[in-house]
Amino acid sequence: MKVNLYPKKAYLFNTFLVAFIIHAAQAGVGIAGLPRIVFLTAKHDAWISVFFAGVLTAGVIYIILFMLNQYESADLYGIHYDIFGKYIGALLSLIYVLYLLSACFIIVMNYVEIVQAWVFPDLQTWVLSLILLLLGVYGVLGGIRVVVGICFMSVILTIWLAFMLSAPLGHLDVTHLLPIWETKTLDIIKGISKTALSIIGFELLLFVFPYIENKKRANFYAQMGNAYTTLLFTVVTLVSIGFFSEVSLTRTIWPVLSMFKIIQFPNLERFEFIAISFWMLIVLPNICIYLWAATKGIKRVFGKNQRRYIFIAASIIWGLCFFIRARYQMNMVTDWVGRISYGTAFIYPVLLAAIVLVKKKLFKGGKKNETSS
Amino acid sequence: MKRVVNILTIIILLIPVTGCVEKNQLEQLGLITAVGFDYSDKKDVIKGTAVLQTFDPQMKNISNIISDEGKTSKGIRENENLKSNNKLVSGQLRVVVFGEEVAKDGTGRLVDTLNRDATIGNMLYISVAKGTAEDLLKKNKIEASQNLGTYLYQLIKQNVEEELVISPTLYEYNHSFYDEGKDPVIPILKLDAGDIVISGAGLFKDDQYIEELKLNKLFFLKVLIDQYKAGALELELPIDELKKFIKDDVSDKEKLILTVDNINSNRKIKLLDKEKPKFSVEVNLETRVLEISENVDLGNPEVVKILKKITEKEIKKEMSNLIAHFQNLGIDPVGFGNFYNSRVRGKNFKQEEWREMLKTAEFDIRINNKIVRTGVID
Repeated sequence: MKVNLYPKKAYLFNTFLVAFIIHAAQAGVGIAGLPRIVFLTAKHDAWISVFFAGVLTAGVIYIILFMLNQYESADLYGIHYDIFGKYIGALLSLIYVLYLLSACFIIVMNYVEIVQAWVFPDLQTWVLSLILLLLGVYGVLGGIRVVVGICFMSVILTIWLAFMLSAPLGHLDVTHLLPIWETKTLDIIKGISKTALSIIGFELLLFVFPYIENKKRANFYAQMGNAYTTLLFTVVTLVSIGFFSEVSLTRTIWPVLSMFKIIQFPNLERFEFIAISFWMLIVLPNICIYLWAATKGIKRVFGKNQRRYIFIAASIIWGLCFFIRARYQMNMVTDWVGRISYGTAFIYPVLLAAIVLVKKKLFKGGKKNETSS
Repeated sequence: MKRVVNILTIIILLIPVTGCVEKNQLEQLGLITAVGFDYSDKKDVIKGTAVLQTFDPQMKNISNIISDEGKTSKGIRENENLKSNNKLVSGQLRVVVFGEEVAKDGTGRLVDTLNRDATIGNMLYISVAKGTAEDLLKKNKIEASQNLGTYLYQLIKQNVEEELVISPTLYEYNHSFYDEGKDPVIPILKLDAGDIVISGAGLFKDDQYIEELKLNKLFFLKVLIDQYKAGALELELPIDELKKFIKDDVSDKEKLILTVDNINSNRKIKLLDKEKPKFSVEVNLETRVLEISENVDLGNPEVVKILKKITEKEIKKEMSNLIAHFQNLGIDPVGFGNFYNSRVRGKNFKQEEWREMLKTAEFDIRINNKIVRTGVID
């Protein structure tokens, strides 16, 4: 396996698209339930937690790109190989692949659950997950450029949903937000960790990095993408807290969708159904990009054609859908992946960056990894 | 080639998918537009009454009313479904009417199912019937060509828009019910010689209906709750100070009746003392004179000044009485508790404790009434 990937020029994508990838990968099913999840621990100061989670993410993105810039054009798998050698590196890569696949799995499952709870109560899980996964597979088969294209389209086509928040904004009760910072600081910090599952997605930089055209500018656009996500998440949380009373918010599973319930048009009374359908556009890039990154990893470890792995991975995810039947199981799995993601997306890249730096210092006269910094 | 196969697979798979979802054809549906809940004679059994809208291409829109009993509201719907040739769906539910007794016992679990069901909207109206909901929905003489559900919805809606009643949407009900330190206010419907009229506002303690507030007192509550733009207020004022300005002989009269129209209002609540607690309430009104019972020269600045003073005094008296009444009942429709909660740090705010605190709370009320216009004549 090579440490650095040098894709053909035709496979590279414009640097500004990094912003869209980061935002599309971060905004997913998580945002629909985010305000409540954070509210459960951080109470009415939840928005502070969400904001700081965004700031923390900005720091981690910086560290990730700093690490990647130590190499010429490597991805996480290449770095694993470089640092840990053939076997341990492969093992770590496969563990990360497992995480990516499980993230893909809970994204599919959570979206299916939303559709079942709101629109089609008697639609079978396997039907909807099959459609979603086939769509994902179809996108990933097109390669990285198609996946990036999906991210771009998804952001452009769903950006108007953010403006729909103006309707609940009119019902905002400011007294819910006061007094600011009343919650114990420890709980606010706990709230930050609860945001993790919704805000992950930025770690995919570790995989798309070799395909960025101008790698020096990547940090700027990645930060832009994350800044928009942070802003959106903070506003959504703020509006939810003002809109719902305390007890309602702790009981409402998808506050964002419930807020859309008050929007009415003369010829369309139930706007939330439209919103849920559009939500698929938000979810699709998540599925695609996680699937792409995971199968890329399998290819890097075992070689051969990526196509085959895409089908295998999608079938495994689809097969797992049959094991989840009830909401509480879904909750458990989501919670698990949420905790794991805290480690894999936030802590692990930082640790790895430290190791990369130490290695670089130790082997100063060394080979390829001193080229750029 | 492979790509073509992939696309074909997806298309072929989409065909059976369309069969997976339940079909709903409009002609075969009975849209429930209003429901009423009462207690049945049997123990623990609820009686539900549903107003249906059905569509038949041959006939005009028909609305009919079915009622049945069950232990849960969804159970009632199943039972009602057995009585109808159409499949009953609740996606178009507009108005929920609780019978007086059900409302007094607590609406909690019936509202819970409204919230749980994703097909039910958030902007439907909640109301309380004087007597039973069944009588209200069945014994009125509103023409059958009009759908009763939509009729009730319009009845409440236009009065909400005119700001004569407080908006009772499910969302607003939830908001004030679930908020610690605020109680809902819901309109009361009653039958008056075959017509359905809004008779007053029902004051709630949590989810229990406590007492009816007359509509002429509702003004004072509404001004306290939110910004107010329309709506008239009839005041009975002492006449003494104005006597010398009245041209006719009024020596035998004690009261002056004045109707003002509220153009604009805002209120400021401040927490003066956290321990006691003590609030200051400042209400600024901008009003316009609509009708006055005596012939007074409103062109005279002095008259307007006196009028301003005595209306302020009267409004203040009414408002203090109202708040004192709320304190006696231990309810908080204005949401002082909510306000208190947002101003005091580091306490564990509980609704029950607040009710005790509210009883001893003090209110310092100040009214500023600005008479901006007197109509087209002086």
